[in-house]
Amino acid sequence: MVEWEYNNYLMVVKVLNDFLSKLNSQCSCVLQQRIEIRKLRQGEHLILGFSIGGGIDQDPGQNPFSEDKSDKGIYVTRVTPEGPAEVAGLMMGDKVMQVNGWDMTMVTHDQARKRLTKKNEDVVRLLVTRKSLEQAVKHSMM
Amino acid sequence: MASVNNSKNLRDSDIQKKIDHEIRMRDGACKLLAACSQRDQALEAAKSLLTCNTRIMAYMSELQRMKEAQVMQRVARRSDGTRSSDAGPMDDRLPCKGKVAISDLRIPLMWKDTEYFKNKGELHRCAVFCLLQVGGEIHDTDMVMVDRTLTDICFDNTIVFSEASPGFELRVELYSCCSEEDYSAGSAPRKLASKLSSSLGRSAGKKLRVAMDPGACSPTSNAGAATLLLPGPAVAGPKYHLLAHTSLSLSHVQDSFRTHDLSISGNEECSYWVPLYGSVCCRLAAQPHCMTQQMMSGCLKVKQLGGDPPSWTNVYGVLKGTNLFCYHRQEDMEANVEPAFTIAINKETRIRASEKDPHSKAQSICISNQYGGEEVTHTLSADSREETHRWMEAFWQQFCDMSQWKQCCDDLMKIELPSPRKPALVTSKQGSLYHEIVIDTSDDISTVTDILTRRMQELELRSQLGTSPPWMSLFEESPGGPRTPRLARHSPRSPHRLPHSPLSSLRCPWPGLLSSDASLTSDSDSPCSTSPCSRHRGWAEPLSLSSPRFRPRTLSLDAKLSTLRGRGYGGVLQCSCQPPSSSSLAPIPAQCVPQATLSCSSSTSSNSSSEGSHSPSSLDGTPFSRPSSARRSLRNLRAKLDPRNWLQSQV
Repeated sequence: MVEWEYNNYLMVVKVLNDFLSKLNSQCSCVLQQRIEIRKLRQGEHLILGFSIGGGIDQDPGQNPFSEDKSDKGIYVTRVTPEGPAEVAGLMMGDKVMQVNGWDMTMVTHDQARKRLTKKNEDVVRLLVTRKSLEQAVKHSMM
Repeated sequence: MASVNNSKNLRDSDIQKKIDHEIRMRDGACKLLAACSQRDQALEAAKSLLTCNTRIMAYMSELQRMKEAQVMQRVARRSDGTRSSDAGPMDDRLPCKGKVAISDLRIPLMWKDTEYFKNKGELHRCAVFCLLQVGGEIHDTDMVMVDRTLTDICFDNTIVFSEASPGFELRVELYSCCSEEDYSAGSAPRKLASKLSSSLGRSAGKKLRVAMDPGACSPTSNAGAATLLLPGPAVAGPKYHLLAHTSLSLSHVQDSFRTHDLSISGNEECSYWVPLYGSVCCRLAAQPHCMTQQMMSGCLKVKQLGGDPPSWTNVYGVLKGTNLFCYHRQEDMEANVEPAFTIAINKETRIRASEKDPHSKAQSICISNQYGGEEVTHTLSADSREETHRWMEAFWQQFCDMSQWKQCCDDLMKIELPSPRKPALVTSKQGSLYHEIVIDTSDDISTVTDILTRRMQELELRSQLGTSPPWMSLFEESPGGPRTPRLARHSPRSPHRLPHSPLSSLRCPWPGLLSSDASLTSDSDSPCSTSPCSRHRGWAEPLSLSSPRFRPRTLSLDAKLSTLRGRGYGGVLQCSCQPPSSSSLAPIPAQCVPQATLSCSSSTSSNSSSEGSHSPSSLDGTPFSRPSSARRSLRNLRAKLDPRNWLQSQV
């Protein structure tokens, strides 16, 4: 059983290393990224194709994506496959900092939702931060 | 033209009287401010001063607008050479006015954890009150003292604006003033200040009266008088500052409580700062006059359906609200007898005047309604042409009102004027949970946990406890179990599973249970969702109090409880090195090889197909827990993303 685990471990480490080298070569330790999502009309709704969690009125300890467990920001918890958000490059775990210029770091969950679902806006421009995988693995190794 | 001028003069003098009154009130407030020694009195006087000043400014600007309108009219007349149609009927219809009432204002607060440990000296207190303005009418609420023991600022006042148009804008302004400053600036400057204030008030008033003489003024002289008045008397004393404001309008009117956003001015550095959550809950109701008053009444003839030749019944019709009540006789209406029948006049109704009936001289009016798929038409006829015309006018006016007042015309909203007598049980402090729970300063943390156990037992005895509250697992020896043994179960939804005793009053929350739940959270300053404001009447009320109110002064509850936790779960954490049966991200205790985490994730990736979708993304986005989170209990990734625990919204 230990052998199996170890083999798996090696395999995963290899995969990770490959990925990291690719990352490093592209120099993409992305800190902040601007993502423009064009809303999709579904019936009478305009959807973006992702889900958010977080907010100053939510318990930040339950946020699986945040590094700092007192971070009450808005995080992307799910991205609908082939939805407008995925197409635009949004990823699960991204922290949304701004939406169309509005700050999202100090808002309630409902305020965040409202700012994303304004009926008169076709496009939302998000400013997101994303932890690079390297950082994530580093932390896990410690 | 003379009549129009007269009515304008009347309005002028009306406003003048109001301004005079406010100036006198303001003088009084200044004098009181100068003379009082008690902090509370000074705050009240300063509040009156601010209200008076605001009212004066509002009246002044109204006056200015009227003068400007007059001047514009005169100019237009002169250039035209013709008389403007100032007395003729308006082409467009004006909707009726109505009563707008705002009540049960509640502004949640969001205190930081650090506030609770600031035990140096007295509590930092602020005096707050609200100013509510619709058009020229300004009302103020009572003053409330706010300190860190309060979870929300509640204003019990119900404020009614009697003549509001449907396009009204209700401006809510929250003013606050720090109540710790020492404003006793010494007697001598105070005397001077009072002298200045009173003399300025009077002289300014006189000048104002001269300036406001109708017929002699132009807008510029108004402005002159205004500048004299506006800086106002310089008084030493507490000063209120605008802390937050918001504007409500017809779209916010509803027959229940709603939450609205507040725009906050000021920041933590200001002395008058109070940490607002950012919303305000209130009930905004409106009663348009068309719903409460009789808009039209008179004798009508109603055609009986069927029969040839058609027969007509005489009724006395009263148009009120969304109905046309038809009584047999006028006396019946006055005696409050039930009407013979009622015809609905609402948004769906269609009314038209039909062609002349050969038998009668006047046109008849046809009113059509849809009653459950079927169309029912009533035909009415008035005594004369003029009467018919008046009825049609009344109906058109009704339609105009309904289209302008929108949701207010669906049903009559209740507006309750508060009884002048205050209820007998009024606690001195605003009954927060903080004061309900008594913890002796000498008590240790164990007392807190004792209290928690006792409370839990009380609750068990009082109501059948179906499922144990999440923090109960802290006291249970067996870790794990069917529910994720996560302590900080803090979601707004969790009360669904917990039974509750009916709340006796809004300020008497769920006894201790939720507060204890909240106090066990390791993160401190999340006030929890205040969307419960919309569920105001229910048990959701306690959620707003979930900010830890319950901190012993001696030791950090967090630290102690986490060691307790550690004791209970240490065993479980050690076992995390084995491949878990369900895919879970085990937090890594320091001594475990990183292997543990990666094996978990690898087992996730190699696990059954149900996990397949998670694996690639889990490598990308899911963070690996840091060693400091080793203290935290085991979590299932799916449980984390379970919407019941941590609110998620799809956009």
